[in-house]
Amino acid sequence: MSVFQHDYRPYEGPTTVLWKRPLVLARYGLAEAWGSKITVGLAVLALLPCVVDLVLMYLADNPVAKMLVVGGSKVLEINERFFLGVLETQCWFALVLAAWIAPRLVSFDLGDNALPILLSHPVSRFGYVLGKFIALAVSLSYVTWVPLLILFVYQCYASPVPWAIGHLGIAVGLFAGASVWIIVLSLIGLAVSSWVKWRVIATGAMFAVVFVPAGVGGIASAILRTKWGLLLNIPVVMSELWQRLVGAPDIFRGKVDLPTPAIAGVLIAASLLCVAVLNARIRAREVVRG
Amino acid sequence: MNAAADTVRFENVSKFYGEVLGVNRITLTLSPGITTLVGPNGSGKTTLMNLMTGLVQPSRGTISVLGLEPSNATEFFCNVGYCAQFDSFPRGLTGFQFVLDSLMLFGMSDEDAHGLAVEALERVQLDAAAAHRNIAGYSKGMRQKIRLAQAIAHHPRVLVLDEPLNGLDPMARAESLALFQELGRQGMHVVISSHILDEVDRVSDRVVLITGGYLIAQGNIHDVRQEVRDKPMQLLIRCDKPDLLASKMFAVNHCVEARLHADGGGIFLRTGDVDQFYRVLNEIAIEGAVKIEAVAPFDDNANAIYQYLIGSDGSAL
Repeated sequence: MSVFQHDYRPYEGPTTVLWKRPLVLARYGLAEAWGSKITVGLAVLALLPCVVDLVLMYLADNPVAKMLVVGGSKVLEINERFFLGVLETQCWFALVLAAWIAPRLVSFDLGDNALPILLSHPVSRFGYVLGKFIALAVSLSYVTWVPLLILFVYQCYASPVPWAIGHLGIAVGLFAGASVWIIVLSLIGLAVSSWVKWRVIATGAMFAVVFVPAGVGGIASAILRTKWGLLLNIPVVMSELWQRLVGAPDIFRGKVDLPTPAIAGVLIAASLLCVAVLNARIRAREVVRG
Repeated sequence: MNAAADTVRFENVSKFYGEVLGVNRITLTLSPGITTLVGPNGSGKTTLMNLMTGLVQPSRGTISVLGLEPSNATEFFCNVGYCAQFDSFPRGLTGFQFVLDSLMLFGMSDEDAHGLAVEALERVQLDAAAAHRNIAGYSKGMRQKIRLAQAIAHHPRVLVLDEPLNGLDPMARAESLALFQELGRQGMHVVISSHILDEVDRVSDRVVLITGGYLIAQGNIHDVRQEVRDKPMQLLIRCDKPDLLASKMFAVNHCVEARLHADGGGIFLRTGDVDQFYRVLNEIAIEGAVKIEAVAPFDDNANAIYQYLIGSDGSAL
């Protein structure tokens, strides 16, 4: 029998508040996500359209340059439609970036069985998912609303006529549209990555989750001659939402006309489904015998 | 301090993964010191450890660790350190960052976390240069050490170590066992699961034998061995006349086997009644015909108990 001295002293110093703990996981996640050269490459690639847009804005806002390049044409008009195009471009680049980053955040942990070691800390499963969500959302912000708002601010600065006051709704729409997409995309990314342990397959599965239901919805709409099948088409649903948020006319969009509550309902349902998947998959269990 | 606040208690705990049994009806109380979980692969050792660390919830029964329940996550996890058996780490981190971030998950400030991380790395004897290299480049032994450092860094009172000796070379194993002994002596609960029974045997205060999800035996190794009465106990007796001792021992009916030691300076005896055996041995010693130098149980260890109670095929006998 050992002689127990009972002189062991646990840590009794101050501790940080609980809500800050997921930020440590977010830091883990950001380091993991941006530690890859491919992530950096994709992010740089995603910003190239913004550079092109910046040049177009310069041309549009400089009367001499505009006259030289496009003459009197209205092609280079900086308005809601222009920003809607920029928003859509950046948001689809965000999908590519999310498909690459999300599996690195979750699939690696699941594949490496790292969850038990992380969840044996005072961090709940919710805290774990929140940390990863923050890492993904911050990464996607870098290619969505941040450059979009920079472009907006540049337009406010460079416009030869007072522009900002009359177009503040665009900035709000850009931020809201990008934020909704980031939330939906992050949840889909985390859910798919928690379901598929193999990173490459998880990346492919993310595209499949976005585009396969779109095909199914399209077929259903065509067969049943109804527009409701388009609610499964995330690209159409998001385009409709972005167009309404930015306030752009829908002259290029055909007659889809999905009701806003239905769009909101689909996005909320998709998000809840992702949360349910995460709840089922993010577990600390190490060994399941069978 | 009341008893519950200083023990790990399982009361009628069962854990089912769907229809698959993890552990069933485990009632167990662990005091401070080193406890070894012994059982074949898939016996439920890791489930028991996961229950103890709050990573899975019991299907039935209650668990209390130092009077705390896993639902009280903040306090519970600050008192428990866990070293998983899997070679699992968040990627892209150095060993030092891994321990540091782990401490920050426990809510330590940057300054405290830094100091505790350095202390933990020193305790597991991982040198500073290695600690600042990426874990991906570590050897298996170094990865085991960094996992151990992570588990002890926040000064838990209960340390749960799943196969902590795997992958360690003999020197590192000896250092780790010395560390466990030191922590156990200081009053910490150290719960170890290991297949290296010979080494764990030397440091364990008690064993918990489990197979097929059921608790087979628990307690001090010697006490458990004494309880296994249907298996004759094997003893090594060092003496000057082993052949004479063997003939005298065979005169009593509880002695079932005698085998000369290879060096001729002793004899292995198997007896079905150890109390009777010691009485007879005393009489022989008093007679003076045989000069007895030493008597030691030869199967009074975790390995033998494992063989007797669980068997080499992993099924309880």
